[in-house]
Parts: sequence; C-alpha cells; structure tokens
Amino acid sequence: MTSPAAHLSAVRVPKWAFAVALLGLIVTYLVLQENGLALGASSELLHEFFHDGRHALGVPCH
Amino acid sequence: MITTYRSLALRGIAAGGIAGAASALVQLLVTEIPIRAALAVEEAREPAAGEGHSHGEEELVSRGAQVVGGMLGVIIVGIAVGLVFATAYALSKRWFTDRTPFSRSLALGAAVFGAVALLPWIKYPGNPPAVGDPETVNYRTALYLGVVAAGLVIVWGASWLAERLRTLTQPVRVTAVLLAVVAAVAVVLLAFPAPPDTIPADMPVTVLWQFRLSSLAQLATLHVGLGVVFGLLIDPATRRSKAAQTAAVA
Repeated sequence: MTSPAAHLSAVRVPKWAFAVALLGLIVTYLVLQENGLALGASSELLHEFFHDGRHALGVPCH
Repeated sequence: MITTYRSLALRGIAAGGIAGAASALVQLLVTEIPIRAALAVEEAREPAAGEGHSHGEEELVSRGAQVVGGMLGVIIVGIAVGLVFATAYALSKRWFTDRTPFSRSLALGAAVFGAVALLPWIKYPGNPPAVGDPETVNYRTALYLGVVAAGLVIVWGASWLAERLRTLTQPVRVTAVLLAVVAAVAVVLLAFPAPPDTIPADMPVTVLWQFRLSSLAQLATLHVGLGVVFGLLIDPATRRSKAAQTAAVA
C-alpha cells in the first residue's frame, strides 16, 4: 500500500507555477525549435547560434 | 524539509543548470567530433544551391560561435527543463510516494529521459549536419514532437495505472505496469511513420552512429543528471550524510 508521505502533502503548488512551467517550455521551444514562427527574421540568427546544440540534442534540423 | 513550490523551482533551476553544463561538456568533448566530421562531408560537396542553411563562407554565425552557442543553448534548455521538472515534481501526488525524495527525483528523471529522449531517439534518431532535407523539416519536427507527446502520455499513464492497481501485490503490480508500458511503446513505434529522409551516400556510417550515440549520451546526461542533482538538492538525507561524513573525517 502506498500512503502519501508527509513531504508530498506539504508542498502547495500556487497557480503561477503553471506560468513558470509554461515559460520553461517556451524557452525550450525558442532554443530548439524556432524556425521563424514566433520571431520571424531574427530567428535565423538564433537558429544558427544554437545550431550545434539542436543537432546534439537530437532535434530535427534543416 | 522543502515545503514551498518556490524553493523547489529554485532547486530545479540550479539542478537544470548543472545538468545542462555537464551535457554541454559532453557536447564539447564528444559530440563535436562527429559534428566536425559531418561538416567536412558537407563542405566536400560542391556549394549546393538552395541549401537554405549556411555553414560555409557566407555564414551568419561563425563556427566558433556555433560551438559556444550550442553549449549555451544546452545549458539554457537544461535550466528550462529543470523548471518544468520541478513543477512536475511538486505536482506529483502518486509518483513513487513511498520512496525518498532522491529516489523519486531520480525515477522521474529516468522516466523523462525515456519519454522525451530515448523513445524519439529510437523512432527518429538525430542526425548530424549534412543529412537532413530542408524540405521535410516541418514534417520531421511534427513527427518528433508527436513521439515526445506520446512518450509523456505513456509515463503519465504508467503512474495512473500503478495507482489504480495498488491493491495488487508489488511484484504483480510492477509486472503489469511494465507490460502495459512495453505494449504502449510498441504501438507508438509501429503507428508513427518511418523517418522520411534517406541518409546521403557520402555520409560515413561511422560518423552517423558516432553522432547518434554521442547525442544519446548527452541527452542522458541532461535528463538523468537533472534527476540526480535535483534529488541531491531536495533530499534532507544529503545534508545529514554530509554532516556524518565530516564527523567521521574529524
């Protein structure tokens, strides 16, 4: 039987936690996926700058 | 004992930064070797028109900047994933509830690695420069994100199933959950279409696989490393054992 341990019930998650998590996902998107959808022309600079990281983390690239 | 979301999130940032830095180090020392070899393959081709991507003379960003930028990107991704990880950890109500914070964090890190790195790596292994066809990049990205989403659903479903089956004995329950995960992974691998691109003939197989394995090592460093470091930072037992060690040394 699993009974929720004390440390589980102790953590109260505020609403803004979801905004924080969303921010994390958006940053991940900008670094790994941005192909011009959100930033337009300047995205190519971003794309080229993070180029090796995108490849290395296995994200589809050009 | 950590009781606020804020302190968990800060530790997520720290753990993500550390795991990201370790992954960036793997990139510098390991993954850059096959990337350099692949760029040499690309340069050996005649300046193909319409590549849509510049590694050569008319480059937007120099090679040196790409190496540094790539490492920086991995660290930033580490921090961002750390934030999402800490939030998922804070929200988890049924994730190995009978274990210590360190074990829970390590198990979550391993599960995230399986869902967002290993599963897509098996279905759509990453490619070094000079392989991808720019024409298909959006299609490939959609497939990749689809597999990542499917992987996360499998992880969530496994914890849901484990909770539902809690009346069973532990060995039976673990076996049932494992069988369900294997079945779900098999369905995902069969249901998603094959990778659309063929590997160009001038790309040596050794370079290709050296790159893919380096990439997997980097992803494991990032995600499992995040689980380990986050676990170390949140588990009160870390400090207690440290204190005991100093006492033993003294």
